[in-house]
Amino acid sequence: MSNSLLRVHNLKKTFGGVKAVDIDDLNFQSKELTSIIGPNGAGKTTLFDLISGFQDEDSGEVFYKDKNITKSQPYKIARLGMVRTFQLTKVFDRMTVLENLMFAGSNISNDSLLQSIMQLSNQKKYEDSLKEEAIKVMEDLNIEQMSSSYARELSGGQKKLLELGRSIIKKPDVLLLDEPLAGVNPKLAEDLLEIIQNLSKQGITILMVEHNIEAVMKISERVVVLAEGALIADGPPQEVRENQKVIEAYLGTGDE
Amino acid sequence: MNISIKWAVTILLTIFSIYLVFVLNEEGPLRILFNLLTFAGIYGLAAIGLNVHFGLTGLLNFGHASFMGVGAYVTLLLIPHAAGREGEITESGLPFLLALLIGVISASLFGLILGLPAIRLRGDYLAIVTIAAAEIFRLLVRDLESITGGVYGIINFSDSLQRYRPLLLENFVSKYDLNPSQVWVGLLSWVSILFVLLILRRLTNSPWGRALRAVREDEDAVRALGKNAVWLKLQSFMLGAGIAGLAGVFLAFNYGSLQTTTFVPLLTFYVWAIMILGGVGSLSGPIFGSIIFWVIISETDKLASLIFENANGQQLAGVRFVLVGLLIMVLMIFRPSGLLGKKEELLLNVK
Repeated sequence: MSNSLLRVHNLKKTFGGVKAVDIDDLNFQSKELTSIIGPNGAGKTTLFDLISGFQDEDSGEVFYKDKNITKSQPYKIARLGMVRTFQLTKVFDRMTVLENLMFAGSNISNDSLLQSIMQLSNQKKYEDSLKEEAIKVMEDLNIEQMSSSYARELSGGQKKLLELGRSIIKKPDVLLLDEPLAGVNPKLAEDLLEIIQNLSKQGITILMVEHNIEAVMKISERVVVLAEGALIADGPPQEVRENQKVIEAYLGTGDE
Repeated sequence: MNISIKWAVTILLTIFSIYLVFVLNEEGPLRILFNLLTFAGIYGLAAIGLNVHFGLTGLLNFGHASFMGVGAYVTLLLIPHAAGREGEITESGLPFLLALLIGVISASLFGLILGLPAIRLRGDYLAIVTIAAAEIFRLLVRDLESITGGVYGIINFSDSLQRYRPLLLENFVSKYDLNPSQVWVGLLSWVSILFVLLILRRLTNSPWGRALRAVREDEDAVRALGKNAVWLKLQSFMLGAGIAGLAGVFLAFNYGSLQTTTFVPLLTFYVWAIMILGGVGSLSGPIFGSIIFWVIISETDKLASLIFENANGQQLAGVRFVLVGLLIMVLMIFRPSGLLGKKEELLLNVK
């Protein structure tokens, strides 16, 4: 068998007869920065949902670190080190930015009811270190001045940053980013791209669904193209850009 | 609103309500005051439990009466009591505290059993299931006459608790011509409120409380971050149900007899009104909400009789609910977060 980090095998999902995802075999290598592109309705987000356990597949399997995670619950998959973000940003609106991050970073035993009633000194110590970690993440993302703001007060772009920050604080092995640049102003988009590239350099495997082709071509090591749920191209950005099928299905005239 | 202004207004309103009791009752205002303070303590405790569900976790629970009912029935059936048409006497039983503990745990477990299938439902769907479950519980208790006494209820159980009544209280009570057993129940319910609030204050500021608030905000994000949202919701459901169970026991002892009709949906709605009045998500809000609510409930007929001179008792009772409804409407328009709720965490826009 292959020694890929994440493997999708014979994965199928239909919505009322419409094929959303139909992929024979797709492997993702460790530490690679892969972008998944395709027209609207190509099944990109559905693929993320299937991998991260948020939807059940009709058939097929998903392997992560050689473990079959096909039927696993989302939170169990996340605990294995694969964390996702959402196309429509999901921050905890009525919690502060700091709380958003501390919740994400907190380990399971720290969250437990019993621990919280007892409030032993080791929990307090852990909370302090967690807070430090959260502050560090905020500094890296340049949102430390928002620390005590409620998340709903943030701008769209800042929410994207916060969501990314929440994933980073979990120290994931794999990050699934669903349109991290959508609705973000150009300056912030550039910052975000740099952050994503840095994360990739730190050894995090990144899968990214993104419509901003320029950005995709710039930072990706590999580009996977989906159309109508099926894989139509897979390779380095330059190669994919020149692929005739891709040009027809997605890139249009190809002179972009 | 500024935090200190919020508190000042709340405390002033509470004092004013108590003052109203003295103004509107020439005879024995203290007796009436202690009566409604006992109810306020019991319902306040139940509202605190509901606040764990709704304020902290965002769970729309409309079956609170059943949690109170489970606590009450299990506890009373374990201590010496008489039940049913013939008043069949059960003389042996567990000591009160042990029975109470089992009763509260049973209410929690009922929360767990109800929650296991239902807690995955969101928003209104959970509300529908809980209100149905509460009705099923009430009808079941009514029809299982051989165990629960059915419509005839349970009586003669008060001694298990009243025997612990301290002498000091006895002296105080006789001086002011109060009902000693009621004052004792009221006192215990207020002590329980303090105790429960101390624990909850700790919990809401803890990582566990933070996790519950995250569940309230966005469950998918919680799951995506590796947390078991279902289990967190179940824990919250059980904790709130246990607190409601405790309130249910006090309610039974306050009445001195236990009837299935006590646990009609109206009870749940009273508790909701108290929580909304006090401030959703505010820990101590339900205490003040409860006192003000009960002053309104018990004094409005007197207020109304001042306005409508020729009205009879039944008409006045109707006016009471009109006034409660009006009050909640006014509150929702001018201060939707309740007396002590945080505007930033306003919760009444459930998805």
